[in-house]
Amino acid sequence: METVRIYIMGKEYSVPAGLTVMKAMEYAGYKFIRGAGCRAGFCGACGTVYRKEDEYKLRFAVACQKLVEDGMYLVQLPFAPAPRASYDLEKIRPSDNVLLKFYPEIARCVACNTCTKSCPQEIQVMDYIQAALRGDIRRVAELSFDCIQCGLCSMRCPADIKHYHVAQLARRLYGKYLAPKAEHLAQRVAEIEQGKFNAELDRLTRMERKELTKLYEARQIEEGVGV
Amino acid sequence: MSIALTTSTSMSTSGYPDSMRELIAKVEATRPERLKSSPPRMSAEEREKLLREWHPDYKAGTKRPLSIGPSKGELVPHEVADLLEAYPLISPEEVDLSQIDYDVDVLVIGGGGAGTVAALWAYYEGLPPERILIATKLRWGDSNSIMAQGGIQAADRPEDSPAIHYLDIIGGGHYANKPELVRALASDGPMIIKWHESLGVMYDKNPDGSFVEKHGGGTSRMRMHSAKDYTGMEIMRALRDEARNIGIPVVEFAPAVELLMDDLGQVAGAVLFNLETGQYLVVRAKATVLATGGFGRLHIQGFPTTNHYGATADGLVLAYRVGAKLRDMDAVQYHPTGVAYPEALVGQLVTEKVRGMGAMPVNRHGEAFVYPLEPRDVESAALIRECYGRGNGVETPTGMRGVWLDSPMIEELQGAGAIKRELAAMWRMFNRFGIDMTKEPILVFPTLHYQNGGVEIDEHGWTGVPGLFAGGEVEGGVHGKNRLMGNSLLDYNVFGRRAGIAAARHAKGKGAKLGKLTLDHIVAYSRMLEEAGVSNDRKAPLLLPEYRGERALARSLKIRL
Amino acid sequence: MKVLYYPGCSLKTVAESFERSAKLAMAALGVELVELERWNCCGTVSALTTDDLMHQLAPIRNLIRVQEAGEERLVTLCAMCYNTLKRADLWVAQHPEELAKINAFLDEEPDYRGKVRVLHLLELLRDELGFATVKERVVRPLTGLRVIPYYGCLLLRPREVGLDSAENPRILEDLIVALGAEPVDTPYKTQCCGSYHTTTHKEIVAKRAHAILSSAREHGGEVLISSCPLCSFNLDNRQRLVRELYDGFAPVPVLYFTELLGLALGLDPQAWISEQHYVDPRPLLEEHQLLKR
Repeated sequence: METVRIYIMGKEYSVPAGLTVMKAMEYAGYKFIRGAGCRAGFCGACGTVYRKEDEYKLRFAVACQKLVEDGMYLVQLPFAPAPRASYDLEKIRPSDNVLLKFYPEIARCVACNTCTKSCPQEIQVMDYIQAALRGDIRRVAELSFDCIQCGLCSMRCPADIKHYHVAQLARRLYGKYLAPKAEHLAQRVAEIEQGKFNAELDRLTRMERKELTKLYEARQIEEGVGV
Repeated sequence: MSIALTTSTSMSTSGYPDSMRELIAKVEATRPERLKSSPPRMSAEEREKLLREWHPDYKAGTKRPLSIGPSKGELVPHEVADLLEAYPLISPEEVDLSQIDYDVDVLVIGGGGAGTVAALWAYYEGLPPERILIATKLRWGDSNSIMAQGGIQAADRPEDSPAIHYLDIIGGGHYANKPELVRALASDGPMIIKWHESLGVMYDKNPDGSFVEKHGGGTSRMRMHSAKDYTGMEIMRALRDEARNIGIPVVEFAPAVELLMDDLGQVAGAVLFNLETGQYLVVRAKATVLATGGFGRLHIQGFPTTNHYGATADGLVLAYRVGAKLRDMDAVQYHPTGVAYPEALVGQLVTEKVRGMGAMPVNRHGEAFVYPLEPRDVESAALIRECYGRGNGVETPTGMRGVWLDSPMIEELQGAGAIKRELAAMWRMFNRFGIDMTKEPILVFPTLHYQNGGVEIDEHGWTGVPGLFAGGEVEGGVHGKNRLMGNSLLDYNVFGRRAGIAAARHAKGKGAKLGKLTLDHIVAYSRMLEEAGVSNDRKAPLLLPEYRGERALARSLKIRL
Repeated sequence: MKVLYYPGCSLKTVAESFERSAKLAMAALGVELVELERWNCCGTVSALTTDDLMHQLAPIRNLIRVQEAGEERLVTLCAMCYNTLKRADLWVAQHPEELAKINAFLDEEPDYRGKVRVLHLLELLRDELGFATVKERVVRPLTGLRVIPYYGCLLLRPREVGLDSAENPRILEDLIVALGAEPVDTPYKTQCCGSYHTTTHKEIVAKRAHAILSSAREHGGEVLISSCPLCSFNLDNRQRLVRELYDGFAPVPVLYFTELLGLALGLDPQAWISEQHYVDPRPLLEEHQLLKR
């Protein structure tokens, strides 16, 4: 078995090559309480900071999506102390300065790009903070969409910006106010409230299996993507 | 220095080994023909036969009837039976029930989608935030809900209706579903999406505001709403943000290890366990909502799983001990397309949207062998048959078998850039391991995905045990023996909401008086176990799966610090 | 007597004899020099440092974006951006070793190769399209409109980045003539508007605006044009304060040079005129019959 040496918070362990950082830590005997969540790259619980022994650069990853490398010194970020602003989405509007109002520290951004360098999702974090400064909510929402809210950006920022909270507010403002509304949805909800489908559903809920099967097998399948 | 965007992607493997590359050439050779037509859908008889012969649910020796409890005699997987036929982690003598740490109207156990929705609707129903408590085992939001990729169903297009959705659900579930639950799921769908729209969830939309809607396996209308392939994450982020704004209290890393009852026979809260300090916490609640999710981390039949770290069936165990019935626990959902290569990602989900957008399963000879969007159980059985019945699978260097999912077809069918735009998470995941799914197919095999059954509820999310409600994957009856893609996100919203409302109403109701708190029910349960001859070396709930290396475990000492 | 003293870095390294002699001599005079317990560099290294690298990151990153787009030139409208980007570009061209440091720091980006040319839109009009061409395309000559060209600082200074003579620029005048209007020369056209004092010392800006605008009026100007949002803000919006502080001040509308260009090309100004103008330019434009198509 090919093995690599890793240093978990400074302690050396020999682990099989080809394991993710998360599985390697478990192999070494660590049982996660913090630092493991979805184990598939979606929840941001396992943000990991590491250096290779022959490099000065600090690198970033999520432990469940990163293979161990020989000579890796690593630690996981158990928690990001970054309180968020409180707002009532019904009462605020997507104005040019709303992001700046709730998160005035974004004006401290010096475009150093350290946030972008620390993002395990490779999001252009600095670019969305710059867009936030210009009040471009749509661009913040689009650029930040893949954010897993691990908090690594906000732990590295020399201007103490809480990027992922800014982005969360922008996405909700975009989804609520700037994206066009779905008219067909509003119509359907009204139809359901008016009881338009009740009789048909009454009939279906009482239907015998045999008859249901016949209906099911005779369904017309709509042509379109996926078929 | 021009290290192009290598913050975390520095590659230590470079995609596929040569042995697999050679087989990819065969996939490429047949692609032009396959772009023109796909295998037909199976007839009802063909499906039945395939399921009987190849679906893991039908494999002999994998289940046993429960020996005790309200669903005694029902067939469940051994892994589930082992937990239900297990002794409590705590004993009543250890816990001082006179010291109440949290005294609330509604306790929600579980901080995933269902729990967050239940808490929000308990609040909308009129409870002040401080009268609600969410207790969760990991962080708030660490759940299967946040991992869902492909989408959420709702019949909101003029071509569609709740009745058509009803038929898809119940047919997909092999008619074993509880009709009133199916009805609730189908008819609440559009209202849920509208609620999400008002919360600012960024669904994929067309320029006129209509939703981009696609097919999923077993749907007869295109009703899959998505947010790229981060649908679950986008919904969960918005729900959690809303609950944070409202100020609903949450206690993280504190799973419930037992439900509390009172001397009137009602569920009256729970005993939580602070995973970090080892202390217990007593929560007294007039109503309790179980939103603990499913059981993927039990690795039924040794399958890898798509599920999050905490999916260990704790809710089933707790509910069963207070007398709740289980149903449809004999049916397990294996998602047809889990990752089969690279090894480090085995079992992780490849969303059904990949097939929804046009990628086709292909065997080692480059042949298509199944209609890409059969219901999940059928599709999974077809993939297993291809690998283990017909010997047409592709073998990986570690001996795992899988079939190709021909993802480059998506770029052909939907235009260049479609994958990065709509399947960003998938692209990123494979790219981290040197595989470019816009150019190369990916290797897949079924993976343990969903608990089709669970705690039986009525259409209000009530379990039949006074004071206990349930929503989301922990409950059963909604999906019968097989859930369709996009109905789990809908389920947790519909039944999380209904359970939250019902719990709030119950707590506000005139009869909502709690008696004396007790853990007598676990004493009685232990006695039942003893009488059934179950040895007391098995304890439950599991809380967290054991993944530590064998060598490390073999040397572990139990020294108290 | 005890005196707290700050030694500084050199006294601890290359000038040890300085510190030792001082301490001993002062002790002989009965004065004890007590070293400050906690100290850091006095700051002169930072103050004298010439690399100023941090300030170059943002502009150079933008120039890398241009490079990524496969282009070799970039046009700006705002005089401030023009000045900043062009100066950074010039600076790294003159300091290859500093550029290497910047590229090393920006290791997430491709190297900046120094091949991007930063242009102001006025330069594009003058040097590439040519004012003669512009003149041919004019469909609504701004005949009779007396326009004050205002350069401010950033289009012209420092000299290396200036797009015209810093003493006697012509580019705006030439454009005004091409558009059929009449340029009005004033002694204040290259003087500072007060710049960022507008955030902390509004009255300084009001004083500058008063001088610039009154002089323009005295020379018969009707409208002032600028190429800088900050100059425009200071000369237009600060007129509110000018009116409070200076009796008898008559307001002067302020336009961007591109607004004048659009008018002369026959475009409908409703497509761009916004409420951001403090002094409404519409009455003047109406008077010259420029509002109708």
